[in-house]
Amino acid sequence: MTSKFVKLLAVALTIGVVAAACGSDEEEAPAAAPATTAAAAQVEMVADGSLLDTVQARGTLHCGVSGSAVAFSETQADGSVTGFDADYCRAVAAAVLGDANAVKFTALTASERFTAVQSGDVDVLIRNTTWTQSRDTDVGMDFGPTTYYDGQQLMGRASDGFTANSGAADLEGAVVCTNAGTTTEKNVSEYAALAGVNITLKTFETSDEYWQGFIDGACDISTTDGSALVGRKVKQQPADEEWVIFPATPISKEPLGPTYGQNDSKWADAVNWTVYATIIADEYGVNQSNVAAGSSYEGELQRLLGGDGELQTTMGLSADAFHQVIKQVGNYSDIYNRNLNPVGLYREGSANAGWKDGGLIYAPPAR
Amino acid sequence: MNLKNSTSQTQYEEEINVSTNSGLPPKVAALSPTEWLKANLFSNAFNSVLTVLSTAAILLIIRGLLSFIFNPLRQWSATATNMRLLMTQAYPEHQYARIWVSLGFLLFLTGVSLAFWRAGRRVQLSQVGKRLLAIGAFILLATLLAPFSSKATIIWLIVGAFIVGLGLLLKPAHEDKTISSLTLLSGAFLLAILSLWVVPYGHHSYLSTRTPKILAEPGTVAMTTKLPWTIMFLVAVCSYFLGAFIREKIDETRSKAVLSVTWLISPLFLLFLVLRDPDFDTGHLFSTDIPIFLFFSIVGSVLLLWLTRPDVGEKGRVISAAILFVGFATFLFQMLMIVRILTLVLAFFALAAPTFSGQKPARIRYAKVWIGSMVILCWLITAINTPSTAKVPGDFFIGGFAITLMIFFFTMVLAFPLGVLLALARTSKFPIFRMISTTFIEFIRGVPLITILIFFSVMVPLFLPDGMDLTEIAAVTIAFIIFEAAYLAENVRGGLQSVTRGQHEAAEAVGMTNSQKTFFIVLPQALRVAIPPMVGQIIATFKETGLLAIIGIFDFLYIARSVIPGQTEYMGSTRENLLFVSLVYLVICFAMSKASQRVEKRVGLGER
Repeated sequence: MTSKFVKLLAVALTIGVVAAACGSDEEEAPAAAPATTAAAAQVEMVADGSLLDTVQARGTLHCGVSGSAVAFSETQADGSVTGFDADYCRAVAAAVLGDANAVKFTALTASERFTAVQSGDVDVLIRNTTWTQSRDTDVGMDFGPTTYYDGQQLMGRASDGFTANSGAADLEGAVVCTNAGTTTEKNVSEYAALAGVNITLKTFETSDEYWQGFIDGACDISTTDGSALVGRKVKQQPADEEWVIFPATPISKEPLGPTYGQNDSKWADAVNWTVYATIIADEYGVNQSNVAAGSSYEGELQRLLGGDGELQTTMGLSADAFHQVIKQVGNYSDIYNRNLNPVGLYREGSANAGWKDGGLIYAPPAR
Repeated sequence: MNLKNSTSQTQYEEEINVSTNSGLPPKVAALSPTEWLKANLFSNAFNSVLTVLSTAAILLIIRGLLSFIFNPLRQWSATATNMRLLMTQAYPEHQYARIWVSLGFLLFLTGVSLAFWRAGRRVQLSQVGKRLLAIGAFILLATLLAPFSSKATIIWLIVGAFIVGLGLLLKPAHEDKTISSLTLLSGAFLLAILSLWVVPYGHHSYLSTRTPKILAEPGTVAMTTKLPWTIMFLVAVCSYFLGAFIREKIDETRSKAVLSVTWLISPLFLLFLVLRDPDFDTGHLFSTDIPIFLFFSIVGSVLLLWLTRPDVGEKGRVISAAILFVGFATFLFQMLMIVRILTLVLAFFALAAPTFSGQKPARIRYAKVWIGSMVILCWLITAINTPSTAKVPGDFFIGGFAITLMIFFFTMVLAFPLGVLLALARTSKFPIFRMISTTFIEFIRGVPLITILIFFSVMVPLFLPDGMDLTEIAAVTIAFIIFEAAYLAENVRGGLQSVTRGQHEAAEAVGMTNSQKTFFIVLPQALRVAIPPMVGQIIATFKETGLLAIIGIFDFLYIARSVIPGQTEYMGSTRENLLFVSLVYLVICFAMSKASQRVEKRVGLGER
């Protein structure tokens, strides 16, 4: 008798769990509110309006990052997310919500990232994603201002005769290693084919694996984005070897920046101007440690960082939105230096220097 | 080598046992070492060559592995510092007490259950001695092969020699002298936990201050690690004695049933009440959730008590069908999800009512089960819809090893009944059931698991209507359930086919109904036969959770393979982490396999 009871309860429990799994459908939808008609109306309103209203109503920014990209978005030992991309997520949250910590990070693989934006899982994707024509048009994304200008380069050993001035012609017969299934594979093949040299291409599933191949000597050349090459050289170059990065001009253009779903100008403006605000503040030398209330500035800075704040309120943000960004997260240099200096990347002389210093980082004026 | 030798020796002894074939187990004259070597390893030229070659290969492998592990270039601090990330991902540190409470509760259940089911068997001391001798010899050999510093070599040699000495001491013990295997096991755990207090393993932690830094210093393990583990050990041991004490005082069958149910439902409560720390909205609770629960409990009980009356007839079926119709109709209107689900479950109970009709006690029991499932269901739906206060980045409040275990548990608990149902449907006499089940099983078995996972993780979110949001974890758990159910169904079907025609006929001859025949005659025999393939499937499922790494869920493997090597500090530490992960998988799978062998022995598989 008792065993029958147990069986019955087990069956009931099973159904319960299945049903509860369906119940979790509504976990985060606003429709879980008690008054169902009101909730339905709310959903419709949000569907018609901009993502900006949804995010502000929700109080949390859902930001898609990689979660395992050195210096761009790392998951630390306590589970927190840090890095250049992660800081830009925080900057957007500071601008839109006034709180840099109101971010829910979602770690996405390369294959999931655009689906996550389309299905509304994330509001903005800041996951070292290159701005390309097909992604901008066919995939249905819109791209914000580029926050980091990267480019594919190659790295070899000085003992193999490679120097910073080496070029495609020096690659004859080399074993080149890279990630499987990425554009870097295609770029280096095209680069070698254009110069008419023969290379052996070896691909590995994760970046750590091909670096192991390079360190063990299974590869002569390893190729990926320049930022990653510098990081590896700083961290993993053995004392008795010298690794050199070439050519000086990258073999591909990889502009990285925030990405969001298309046809939502209001949301796009909020994200874009958050990035521009960090750049403009940097131009004026206003950073996290010396930023003051907006009214204490004159001209462009006053308009940007507060004052009457008319420019911000017309775009649906609070008047001091960008003041919060600089105060809580920092300007472009703060974000860059904090995350990328430890892996050996510096702004000076790179494409990521300000436009006044010969770089490409440029923002339209705030007026 | 030594381990291998000892097992082949026992086999050899068994062979002699069989050949002498007398009534009592015969005493075997122990062979001298030279004779033993000659009989087992060098019996002819070919065997001698094989022995030499395989010994050389094994020694080389051990040496390679040891020099890899103890190479100073290895970043073992990557694994040690990230232990929290590996185990729970981002679970907030100040709430870690919740994790320890959950683990402690499960260990308490384990201890009591071990006592109630009288697990553990007597092991001869001389056998223990032999094992220790083998282990000690292996440590000595490994120490000589490993590239240790001279100090480490001496320590390990002393440890090895100590174990060998202990083995030598125990080996000549009389065969009447036995020890419980549980005592041995807890002794081993005790040693491991004591070593946390004594041995300077080093102290690794991640300080997330304004400038994050990683702390790795020599010394004993942090108090936050060793103290909880010591308490956990004490809880397990004490609960075993508690179980053994109360076992004699109460009705054992009933308490075993209670224990089984507790095992089944406690993960749900631990997960949603203790770990998730839901932030209940009291107003909503009293205005909506509790009234709905009371309404369904009372109305449902009255209805079911009436439906289970033996004389209710066709009217009951019509009413049950009407409830089912209403249940489906609720999805066409704006309504709380909980009402829809409870109506559907009520319809299911109503439809099943005639099977459980009978005398008054039976009918009351059915109503009790209904109320019990209402409690669980309402609780779960409320808990899931309540926001968690454990603020973490990412979709789900735990990750790492915890999520691997969680998905494995839910997959096994839900895939098993589904698999049995599918197997019954496939062997059913009704063509429509057979066709649906066969199509489902063949379709799922024809598609690789990774495809199903990617489909559920990437495609399903796009198909869901607006406002509906299935978390990725829930989606992939469903994917795992349907995949494993299809395979389990085939294992169970194999068992069903082993039940002979005579059993069916005998059941029919004594006048059993179809469902009685299935549940009391056929299934118990079929499941017994299906144990070995099902355990194989369970172990495979545990390992298949590693595929979550490919779709980017922060499971145990993904953190080890991609996330930790993505930290600035620990670039290039993939191999260390993977070695650690494979060790954990190995230990758990081996334990499951051993446990299943015990179960097979208990049900007498292969003997009758």
